[in-house]
Amino acid sequence: MHIPDNYLSPQTCAVMFAAAAPAWVISVRKVKKELPPEKVAMMGVGAAFSFLGMMFNVPLPGGTTGHAVGGTLIALLLGPYASCISVSIALLLQALIFGDGGILSFGANCFNMAFVLPFVGYAIAHAISPNWGKNKKRDLIGAGIGSYIGINAAALCAAIEFGIQTMLFKDASGNALYCPYGLNVSIPAMMAGHLTLFGLAEVVFTVAVLAFVWKAAPDFDNSTVKAKTALPVKILLGVLICAVPVGLLAEGTAWGEWGADEISGTGAGYVPKGIAHGINYPALLPDYSFSGLPDWFGYILSAVVGVALLVIIFRIISYIASKGSRYDRAVA
Amino acid sequence: MTERLLKAIAAIVDSDSNSEKKPSRMSPALRLAVAVFAIVLCACSRNAVFVITVLTVELIRMALLKPDRMIYVLKKLVLPIVFTLLIMLPAVFFGHRSTMLTVTMKVAESVLILLLVNEDLSWKEITGVFSEIHLPSVITMTLDTTVRFLVLLGRLAERIHEAYLLRSLGRAADRRKMSAAGGILGTVFLKSSKMSQESFEAMQCRGYNGAYRRLSRHRFCIWDALYLCAVPMLVIFFIITQKAI
Repeated sequence: MHIPDNYLSPQTCAVMFAAAAPAWVISVRKVKKELPPEKVAMMGVGAAFSFLGMMFNVPLPGGTTGHAVGGTLIALLLGPYASCISVSIALLLQALIFGDGGILSFGANCFNMAFVLPFVGYAIAHAISPNWGKNKKRDLIGAGIGSYIGINAAALCAAIEFGIQTMLFKDASGNALYCPYGLNVSIPAMMAGHLTLFGLAEVVFTVAVLAFVWKAAPDFDNSTVKAKTALPVKILLGVLICAVPVGLLAEGTAWGEWGADEISGTGAGYVPKGIAHGINYPALLPDYSFSGLPDWFGYILSAVVGVALLVIIFRIISYIASKGSRYDRAVA
Repeated sequence: MTERLLKAIAAIVDSDSNSEKKPSRMSPALRLAVAVFAIVLCACSRNAVFVITVLTVELIRMALLKPDRMIYVLKKLVLPIVFTLLIMLPAVFFGHRSTMLTVTMKVAESVLILLLVNEDLSWKEITGVFSEIHLPSVITMTLDTTVRFLVLLGRLAERIHEAYLLRSLGRAADRRKMSAAGGILGTVFLKSSKMSQESFEAMQCRGYNGAYRRLSRHRFCIWDALYLCAVPMLVIFFIITQKAI
């Protein structure tokens, strides 16, 4: 679901940035107002879970792959606004360091995965279980259904963004300038995977981690308790990091994430001009790998780099926020 | 500038007295040796893989620091990285973008390792390492006293300078600032010889006989053995990465 650069026109990217910007601004304001500064560091752990979840690729017959996002999971643990910020920063790291998702299409990716997914998932889960926290079984059912609908809503948005490119941007010969597939192809292609295996992966990831966290670290989402990452959560993160090479078992490229050299072989028959001559951002660790070393090693190292950076970023933000709030309280 | 330099030196000395640093569980000498060894290997590495891997390990160590220390380390890291990027910028124009990135990463990695060693070890432990490796005591003592006296004399010079400025009025005073530097330095020199004499007498009173001994010695423990394993692992990984790429 990570839309690469050049698949969306710059105009679409600008519109998607404009659409994602209010979500970021409101989320930052809400988090500053509602989330205790000590809990901001927890957002880093949430972002780390999301980052790792996106590394577990699930194969689909036909050669395409997909993954869980974990946006609903963070939304249910820390709130949808915190989830919006966490997933956005995880996506930013993926784009800048690992070249997963484009720089220009960052706004579109954030709109789909950091805004639509957690908010839809959170709303559905709370609609199914209105008295959240009272009945754990009902909560888990709500979380499962919410995460399933959330990821499908996000996939549908991505499919529409891909599909409208052929309608809006064509060259003189009638060929698409950007994504060459229309809505009639992009929606079935994206939704087939997400309605089946990828949706299931999101449900399993959300419900399994949520159940584990509730059991092993019940204070994790309790805002009255001074935030400190519980040991079981740290162990779970470590286990997930060691297990990320499992994602390599899925061969093939996710739909809509092909390179310029792959696209004509997917059935398009040509390379759209926008993709052939578009921007090419050289990431530090492209595709989570090192040339000359085994893929599994690059994958684990990338997971460690991502998790460490997310924890550092959010712990610093939490520290600065807590300093500010202490000052505000003192002044008041 | 002088103020920043003094603060940096004072931070080294003050880190002993007012910090919450616990004594290192592993041998400070081993800690320092592995750090230097990792820096040397990174400098010798012909590709970015080894450097990125060591950098990743250091990132994990940094993620475990307290947030205020993280900010301190990051602040210290910014200047060397920016400076290296600027120096290496011409390489990009000659089409060697990866060279610029590799060199910058090597610098970042080396500085980060040293900063994290500084976070782990106190100044006392670092000077203790010098006596452990049988460096002549006169060198250890000179180093130790130099750093401490730099802070004391620097503060004194700053106070005299400030007093001089407060007593100077008008623009003419600006022109006389440089001529006053000689007077300030002379006073500081006289004061330093007096302070060194006082220090020597105080040390003699406490039984100083020319030997600069450590009172406690670190005993080899399980943590040292575990940390020692890092050396062969580093070497093996270094060889693999140099051969593979």
